[in-house]
Amino acid sequence: MYYLGIDIGSLSCDAVLIDAQENILATSVVPTGARNQEAIARATAEVFRATGLSETDLKATVSTGYGRDRVQSRTAAVTEITCHARGLQALKPDIRLLIDIGGQDSKAILLGRDGRVMDFAMNDKCAAGTGRFLEAMARALQVDIDELGELDNGAERNLTLSSMCTVFAESEVVSLIADGVAVNEIVRGLNRSIASRTLSLVKRVYSGIEGLPVAMSGGVARNAGVIRSLSDALNQAIFVPEKPDTVGAFGAALIAKERMENGKAA
Amino acid sequence: MMKQYFDGLVAGIERTLRENPENKSPRKIYALEVAKLGSRLYSGKKRVAWCGVTAPFDLLNAMGVTSCFVEFVGAMLASTGMAGAYLEEAEHAGYAGDTCAYHRGVIGAMRKGLMPEPDFLIATSVPCTGGLAVMETLAKHFNKDLFVLNVPQRLTEESVQYLADQIRAMVAFVENHTGESLDKENLRRAIHFTNEARVLTEEVYRLAQSVPSPANGRVLSNFGIVMALLLGTKAGVDVATAYRDEFRKMIDNGESGVADEKLRLLWIQNRIQFKNPLVDMLEADYGAAIVSDELNDITWGAIDPEVPFEGMARRAISIPFNGDVTRRIAHLQQLAKRYRIDGAINPCNWGCRQGTGARGLISEGLKEIGVPVLNLEVDCIDSRNFAEGQLRTRLEAFTEMLNERPSIW
Repeated sequence: MYYLGIDIGSLSCDAVLIDAQENILATSVVPTGARNQEAIARATAEVFRATGLSETDLKATVSTGYGRDRVQSRTAAVTEITCHARGLQALKPDIRLLIDIGGQDSKAILLGRDGRVMDFAMNDKCAAGTGRFLEAMARALQVDIDELGELDNGAERNLTLSSMCTVFAESEVVSLIADGVAVNEIVRGLNRSIASRTLSLVKRVYSGIEGLPVAMSGGVARNAGVIRSLSDALNQAIFVPEKPDTVGAFGAALIAKERMENGKAA
Repeated sequence: MMKQYFDGLVAGIERTLRENPENKSPRKIYALEVAKLGSRLYSGKKRVAWCGVTAPFDLLNAMGVTSCFVEFVGAMLASTGMAGAYLEEAEHAGYAGDTCAYHRGVIGAMRKGLMPEPDFLIATSVPCTGGLAVMETLAKHFNKDLFVLNVPQRLTEESVQYLADQIRAMVAFVENHTGESLDKENLRRAIHFTNEARVLTEEVYRLAQSVPSPANGRVLSNFGIVMALLLGTKAGVDVATAYRDEFRKMIDNGESGVADEKLRLLWIQNRIQFKNPLVDMLEADYGAAIVSDELNDITWGAIDPEVPFEGMARRAISIPFNGDVTRRIAHLQQLAKRYRIDGAINPCNWGCRQGTGARGLISEGLKEIGVPVLNLEVDCIDSRNFAEGQLRTRLEAFTEMLNERPSIW
């Protein structure tokens, strides 16, 4: 039998299909867009197409992400904090601190030795420093979001952006471009802002971060520049899984399996 | 408008209690007394004093003054879904949108003519100076006299005398404004009611500590702070008696406030005052019961009728929000132990320095005894700032985390 995890976030809808041995059979990442039912259907169809399986082969589905309650086929809905923790623990069991930056949320999650969530902190009030923030900055810089990750290369100055409000930061970026500041220095400044904001979340859950194995998941973990700045801020290496944006959906699929085995469907 | 609203509320609750005496829940009796207080405040016929939170309401009740802390109006506007227009009014007048919305609501109500005109005002320096500033603004707006009780931060014999002397001066201030002297017999009766309500309320809280608890997320919401307004009255005794009897009955019958209680939560400081689905979600989806509120506790001893002002002074000084935050943390730790709390929720009310300023220290203090804390970012009054999905995710993740932990008790 097979288990499906669906992580429907503000920017992307991710699906992961696993078998009874917890092997990942297929993953998909599609843009959420304005119609989340369509995104759910597309993400699900993609993993079925890749494996030749169908809905009837599923034993359970766990949904997560901000749209978790909108997944009609779900056996249960579990928050992304628990799912990312579970997924990451399966991928790299020694990790104790997980940073997850998605489309509109950033989270620092402290994990116990058994992978349980010991504590967590999330961004306050606004979505500055998340995927949406980077999207807006890429727009202001007139570059593709996927290019942003390497655009900090060669920057020499540690530019400080005065504001972390997405709207104000966007206008500041526009002003810096107009002032002739090099793009790589602006991008590095943006990455450092995200790192600084994330560091305060990390310190809230665990102040003695030194030496604690750290990982990062979520779509923003694909941005190498952010990882570099965050690694500098934490003064240590950060483990990034091969497919960081599907860690939550993988965790959801694992929880689906565990719950069926424990007879706890909802 | 407000008089009609409260009169309608009183009539509706009284009718319900009359027609369904078997459903005479303590919360209905409590709501009836709150509605009656609202009706008196807006009657235009009673002597009214707007007050600070730690004013001696039993003494004012004994002097025939309808008295209430101003934050009551902010909470009322939020609970009736009317706050938005009054908050905007205050913002249009220049009050920043990230200041305390309890107080912004009061300022908006004052500017739009919704605050009943008081005969005089009695401010208190505790729990917050923002409240004191609002009282000064109200006094100026209505051109009424303001008396300020400066509550010392430490409980010593000298500080008790200092505040007791101020309370004596306050009595003279009130007598001067009402033209009536404090009746010794009225005072003695009020103190008797206060002490009776105190014993009963302690018993209510003791019963709420049972596992499972007869309390849930609604039944004792705002209870402690509003009960202060009913001190010195028979109504206060009746409300506390109703709660005690109901909780005893529930425990005897093996009933709990939340069916299949799985998690026991402590709510720090103020509740969210406008209608929202979060408490119901916690209970229905996770069996998580809010069994204790930080503001629901008795931290003071019985008032000696021979030296009543000293007892009232001790009471005001005793509240854990007074003094440095270590007092508040120690109190929260005691509550967590008494109620066998699995986790605490701090809404960190926007604009409130008490709510946000100490949140890191409070988290650390509760973590020290093994109780995790969820810090939210909520404006407890202004629903315009309410991000339900965001809050739901944080609360659900918190309960998922608590469910995975072995109980520390």
